[in-house]
Amino acid sequence: MINDPLSVITLVPIAVGIALLILPKMVDSAEGLARASRAISMGVSLAMLAITTMIFLGEIGNIDWTDYGSGYSLTNDSFLLIPSIGVSWKVGIDALSFPMVWLTTLLIPISMLVEWDAKRGHIFHPLILIMEGALIGVFVSLDMFVFYVFWELTLVPMFFLIMVWGGEDRRYASLKFFIYTFTASVIMLIGILVMYLYTPDVASSGTITGHTFDLGVMVSSASGIPSEGLRHLVWIMLLIGFATKMPSVPVHTWLPDAHVQAPTAGSMLLAGVMLKMGAYGFLRIAVTALPESTMVFIPLLIFLGMVSLVYGAWVCMGQTNLKRMVAYSSVSHMGLIFLGIATMQPLGIAGALFMMFAHGIISPLLFAVAGAFKHHYHTLEIGSMRGIAHHSPWLAGHMMLGWMASLGLPLLAGFVAEVTILIAFWMTFGWLVMLPALTLIITAVYYLTSMQRTIFESDDPHQGILPESLHGEDPSDITWHENAGMLILGALTALFGILPFIFWDMMSDWSSGFMLEYLTQAMESEGVNP
Amino acid sequence: MISLGQLALDSDTAFTLLPELVMLSGLLAIILIPNLGDASFRIPLTNLRVPILIGGSRFEATNDPRMPNRIATLAFSVAFAASLLMIDSSSEEVGGMLRSDAFSRLFSAMFIGALLLVSAASTHRIPAKQNARAPTDHDSEATASRKISILMDNRRQVDFYILLIMVGLGMSLMAMSTNLFMLVVCIELASLSTYVLVAFHKEEDVGGEAGAKYFIVGSAASAVGIYGMSLLYLWSGDLALESLATKWAEMEGIDPFAAFGVGLMMVAFGFKVSAAPFHLAAPDAYSGASSPISGLLATASKAMGFVALFRVLVMITVPDYGEQAPWFLMLAIIAVITMSWGNLAALTSENPKRMLAYSSVAHAGYMLAAISVIGSGLAGEEGTRLILIAITFHLAVLVLFKMGAFLVLSLLETDGSGHRMEDLHGLGKREPLIAGSMFLFMLSLAGVPPLSGFLSKLLMVNGIVSSSAGTGNSSATDVYSWMDTVDPVFWLAAAIVVNSALSLFYYLRLSLVMFFEEPASSSRLKSASSLRMAIMACAILTVLCGIGPVSEWLVSLVSTSIDSLVG
Repeated sequence: MINDPLSVITLVPIAVGIALLILPKMVDSAEGLARASRAISMGVSLAMLAITTMIFLGEIGNIDWTDYGSGYSLTNDSFLLIPSIGVSWKVGIDALSFPMVWLTTLLIPISMLVEWDAKRGHIFHPLILIMEGALIGVFVSLDMFVFYVFWELTLVPMFFLIMVWGGEDRRYASLKFFIYTFTASVIMLIGILVMYLYTPDVASSGTITGHTFDLGVMVSSASGIPSEGLRHLVWIMLLIGFATKMPSVPVHTWLPDAHVQAPTAGSMLLAGVMLKMGAYGFLRIAVTALPESTMVFIPLLIFLGMVSLVYGAWVCMGQTNLKRMVAYSSVSHMGLIFLGIATMQPLGIAGALFMMFAHGIISPLLFAVAGAFKHHYHTLEIGSMRGIAHHSPWLAGHMMLGWMASLGLPLLAGFVAEVTILIAFWMTFGWLVMLPALTLIITAVYYLTSMQRTIFESDDPHQGILPESLHGEDPSDITWHENAGMLILGALTALFGILPFIFWDMMSDWSSGFMLEYLTQAMESEGVNP
Repeated sequence: MISLGQLALDSDTAFTLLPELVMLSGLLAIILIPNLGDASFRIPLTNLRVPILIGGSRFEATNDPRMPNRIATLAFSVAFAASLLMIDSSSEEVGGMLRSDAFSRLFSAMFIGALLLVSAASTHRIPAKQNARAPTDHDSEATASRKISILMDNRRQVDFYILLIMVGLGMSLMAMSTNLFMLVVCIELASLSTYVLVAFHKEEDVGGEAGAKYFIVGSAASAVGIYGMSLLYLWSGDLALESLATKWAEMEGIDPFAAFGVGLMMVAFGFKVSAAPFHLAAPDAYSGASSPISGLLATASKAMGFVALFRVLVMITVPDYGEQAPWFLMLAIIAVITMSWGNLAALTSENPKRMLAYSSVAHAGYMLAAISVIGSGLAGEEGTRLILIAITFHLAVLVLFKMGAFLVLSLLETDGSGHRMEDLHGLGKREPLIAGSMFLFMLSLAGVPPLSGFLSKLLMVNGIVSSSAGTGNSSATDVYSWMDTVDPVFWLAAAIVVNSALSLFYYLRLSLVMFFEEPASSSRLKSASSLRMAIMACAILTVLCGIGPVSEWLVSLVSTSIDSLVG
């Protein structure tokens, strides 16, 4: 068990979550379990956080993250799940996946904390625990079949979170969320199956198909796909799956609906980790396996990234709903990730990785703020209240910090990511960088105006203008658990803004290694000077 | 040629036909045991009474209306276990027309397993009172008629299980047939029994109508199929499948007799698998029949149709590598129409049974698409094998989750509901475990990992992709010519996945109302323990067959059986 911490952090949350959901229904004597399930879920998720933190500190596995080479660490002895078609249980992490794994284990207890008093908590918290296992499974599995299983498994708890604890329009939102992402993933599945077909023949080991789903083998043998056109086709199919998850324009429309309707914890995980699955899968599978196709499609990536960036920011300006605004700002920031990858510079890719991580801290903070807002003011309309700083000073403080971080204020985490991506973009594409750079001004405009309107700007120096949804009652400031969750996220935002090298080192090591190993050769063959 | 005279019932044959013989003895037991009573015969002129047991007033045990169910369940359990164990044993010929090999035994295990579930689920289905008495002279008219109706219910038990065992015998022998004539006769034996079973649902008015409709359309389809078979007989002079296959392979060009014969037989088999345009009776039959029987139609009866398609299309008319079978394009088009029609019609269904019926039409479309790839001539030996494994695996796991979904509806039917979407409202609050299982079944039908429905769909799509990717133009550079790098057959895989995504909408809608809407009544459903156990077993196996050792066991079982089919 100590030798295989990754399987533990993947499977234990799922097993405990399912047990907490099912046992009280099956066994009458297990009624007490339902009452304790909130505490048990929190305990398990904290234990997982402890394990990943120990991995980071080198206590488990003795990995030196400041000088990270290539290859996977903490791999297990692979265990055959369905040998007939070459599926095995194989896990491992590297510097690409580790920050995401750590982020997941961090966000799960925080989102539980923020929604500590959720209705029907005996179902809510175990569902989030199942979510944790599924998300970690996506990042650690080194078998494409298992990867896909976890990829889809994340949909199920999220579907329930939106459907049961969501807002007014939750039914529509949960269906749209599920169907949209499922459709994209099955198209991706066809691409995966074509890659599977060209893995080297291992017919001797008793398989019926003669192929294997091992991620490493699939990725390295993708260049064996005989025709260039077919490789492009596979790349496009993979892109459809990953871009929908990220999401990029034009397949982003599920995101605002899902976010607005989802409960706070759901939004936090959706924005914090689930969107990163798209970028992670894109780098891990599409770019790694088919670098030549990636080179060919760089204009497409720039186009998608740029459109997402500009369109997302532009739409934000017209939003009056707080959550919808934050959701579109996520679309905008995900566009930057595509731009970072498209630079084909170690700096740009590392910037994209840092963006994934920074956005994973900042956007949950923003959604926690929005959730608390809904909870205490019963509305999400930006224009309906003014000067909340009078009534909820803590909430106003967190809101300000989150928005500042999101618009890229120096010394906060978002700045590091944005500036490195822009520098790399300038190095590759020269003055074209003006376009994304100017878009950041739009971002500043919508954040600053909303901030001005909601937090300050009131006629009365002693109190703000309260929304009608309160019906004349006095709003309360946020509860202790909401405050604690937001404080942790805010502190991390500042920490990673001031000391980005905590994760930056491993990210830039990984991207340099990645460039050397996969992309340089592809660039040469495509006639681009690296 | 056609003679059963060679069939000598020695111990070897008896062992080879063990599952069938077990069912046959079950059948006899069901006929005999409920009639046992204390009748006796007085030897004339003496006071000696010799008990003859048949007749008189029945004993308490034989009078029990649950008796036929117990016998049938026992017979099915033993036959199921026997079939499963016989998958690994060697292939045996019986009487020149039957062959017991891994393929036929896997399918008989599938059929009998489905019947076992139906039988276990029906324990609580047919209303019956244990202490039914005949009316006496002093009863009032109302009491008398009530007593008679209870008594009639009691008698119905026997008929129901006799028919079920007949279905089992027909299907099981059908899977073993090596002769087209035997095949058709066995299909008819099973079909005629299912027609009656569909009409057996007397709690509602629609049962009789559904049965009549299903019978008329079904027998018309069979008649067309038998006409096709007679054309094949005219053409070849022999109906043994092997000689038909040899004759077909030797045929120069296309003989009209042979082509029409096969084409007309397709009509009969197409009706069995409910392929468009022969599917129109299916939704009516499914929604009119009682839910376990609908489940039987959607799983075992469909699998029977596919065995027939395997035997005729794949075994007789399979093309050489690189050549197209004459039926390829037609079947591919039918497959796409079937799956799209099924899914689109299911989207608007307000009756969950109708919805599942249309979803079963859609699933037939997926499997037909995979079969048509065999006909495209691209698959080769290896590809054909993969596709057959995929379809067989899909049919096997369909017994778990399709039947499971119908069993959940059956549990609702014990409450007198289950044919409106509203009846499912709030099931999550009334019965969390049952609703959870139903949710699993729905996800599995849609093909969401890690459930078995995903694995089977993955195998099917993989079969299509591995036959058709990378077969075309290899110097493509622009977008249009990328499409040339794959054979058009590749897009059948795309049709399947797009249709699965479409189907997700109605599967999720059904799941949504279970958890989202408020229930009309908050009372729990009837305890019906064996029905609940059957549902739980289906749910657990649906998960286990998706990933891990159980799925591996099933895949290798299926692959053994396909090896014995394609040799």
